[in-house]
Amino acid sequence: MALESPFIPYVAALKTAIHLTPDIKLLSVELEDPDIRVGFDYKPGQFALLSAFGEGEAPFGIVSLPEQGDGLEFAVRRIGTVTRALQELEPGDILGVRGPFGNYFPLEDYAGRNIIIIGGGIGMAPLRPVINRILQRRDDYEDLLIVNGARTPQDLVFQPEFPTWKAAPRTRLELTVDKGDENWKGRVALVPDVVKELAPSPDNAIAIICGPPIMIRFTLSVLKNLGFEDNQIVTTLEAKLKCGLGKCARCNIGEKYICQDGPVFTLEQISQFLEQP
Amino acid sequence: MKLFASRDDLICWLESLLQQRIVVAPVRVEGQTMFQPISKVEEIIFDFGNTTLSPKGWFLPPTETLFSVRRDDGQVELVPMLVEHDAVVFGLRPCDARGIALMDGPFLQEPSDTLYQERRSRTALVGLACHQAQPECFCTSMGSAPDDLSHVDILLTEVEDGYIVQVVTEKGKALLPKGWAKYKGKMPTPPQLKTIPTKEIVSAVRELFNDPYWERLADRCLHCNICAYVCPTCYCFDVRDYPDKGKVERVRSWESCQSPGFSLTAGGYDPRTTKGERLRQRFYHKLLYFPERFQEVGCVGCGRCGKACPVNIDIREVISDLQQLTEARSGS
Repeated sequence: MALESPFIPYVAALKTAIHLTPDIKLLSVELEDPDIRVGFDYKPGQFALLSAFGEGEAPFGIVSLPEQGDGLEFAVRRIGTVTRALQELEPGDILGVRGPFGNYFPLEDYAGRNIIIIGGGIGMAPLRPVINRILQRRDDYEDLLIVNGARTPQDLVFQPEFPTWKAAPRTRLELTVDKGDENWKGRVALVPDVVKELAPSPDNAIAIICGPPIMIRFTLSVLKNLGFEDNQIVTTLEAKLKCGLGKCARCNIGEKYICQDGPVFTLEQISQFLEQP
Repeated sequence: MKLFASRDDLICWLESLLQQRIVVAPVRVEGQTMFQPISKVEEIIFDFGNTTLSPKGWFLPPTETLFSVRRDDGQVELVPMLVEHDAVVFGLRPCDARGIALMDGPFLQEPSDTLYQERRSRTALVGLACHQAQPECFCTSMGSAPDDLSHVDILLTEVEDGYIVQVVTEKGKALLPKGWAKYKGKMPTPPQLKTIPTKEIVSAVRELFNDPYWERLADRCLHCNICAYVCPTCYCFDVRDYPDKGKVERVRSWESCQSPGFSLTAGGYDPRTTKGERLRQRFYHKLLYFPERFQEVGCVGCGRCGKACPVNIDIREVISDLQQLTEARSGS
């Protein structure tokens, strides 16, 4: 009997696709095989590879939570050929899913702590299931601060969820944009400056951060000035990996393979990599 | 177990193997000696230093279809590629057999790469011991030898009137005909190779990550990727879709960490933008990251990379430079 190839994706159908921003769509995907659908368990921070057959395959964070029960969700930004093909799919169209891969945010370990979520642009994608899981188990955590930045107001990714996030107990949502528009009454500032102004205390806190490298770089120095230690700062790394199986070596950085050792790392772990991502 | 086969015995045996299974052996292709499936035993080249490419391509082909996508009435069927034949790789050098054993590390670790695994389990390795070392050879410095039995099923050693046949595994034994006489004589002395210092190379590498050595070395690199192409242990790959007349194939092909854009992320960020960073990655993968994961240095000492490099970047020199740099550091 032939062995089952780990390169063959599960067949899935696109259920819905909605524009979150002009270039980001939320795809809701249902695996065709009911047994596989039930068995597909995952945690916030894990990723899957999506196939647009004929264009190729690319990795995406899973932005839903398994307990939502209504399919897997992915926030896909149009940036190349695969993402364009995925965005052009219509409900009912077939795509492929491989996964879940990688480690996850160890949210159980963060119980009883203040959580600071800092996201920029599409970097909010892997943070969305983190926020929603914390809100579901709100009593397990202390204060939640979310700092979300984007280029313009219409580029803020998970706007439909902002009212829920804002209304949650002991939760503060701070939005900021690089450039406002006539309707924008909020902050026009860079994410690191907002974090500096809000000055969250490092006491009993964990900061989870994802966004463009330049945002991460300056935000890290703000957090360090506030007294955050490297083991209090957590991020998730990106690579245009090809297999998710520890073989293609496209996500090899220093001694690590993002697909197997990551994608979630503390800054303390990253600072010990021989090669810096 | 050691047997003896005359040249005629060997040819007869190869003829019978060819009836039963695919025989992959060194043949001449446009002036190069290459491993290819043969149709006639006469095609086989017995007298060669080493082949231009290692036989890794039998297990990880330069391009191969992983599966194809068939669409029918809105239904999608994913059709896996299967390995349908038994095979024997005949005439590979012990260093290249070791190269395949090293590739087992990433490809057989869970979840295993099924195409690789099937080819590996359905292919026997019949090695040909080296009776002469080539100028580029340094296998003894990397834990192998011209007569290394460790990673073959059968090892042939040419002597004046035929071949000494060392039967290493059950898989090898099952391939052999009955009636070959036991060999009771001595084994010929293998060729002596120049050794290079490799002691504690793994720890030497670790300390030199930020040394200006890499940018200096890479100044002359053309990132032509020939080193990865000829290397028996380079295994990085790319995966792409090829649509053709309503059918789609998902194809894997060899790729190299020397290619600009190899580590480019979707967001446009690239942790390795300079040639020095990319060249360092190749050596670090072989001399540090691979041993950390799979307990062995990812180089077999075949010397193909240095021989093929158009600008003479030679891994032997790199290893020796790294050790000198380490010594200079600890001395200062």
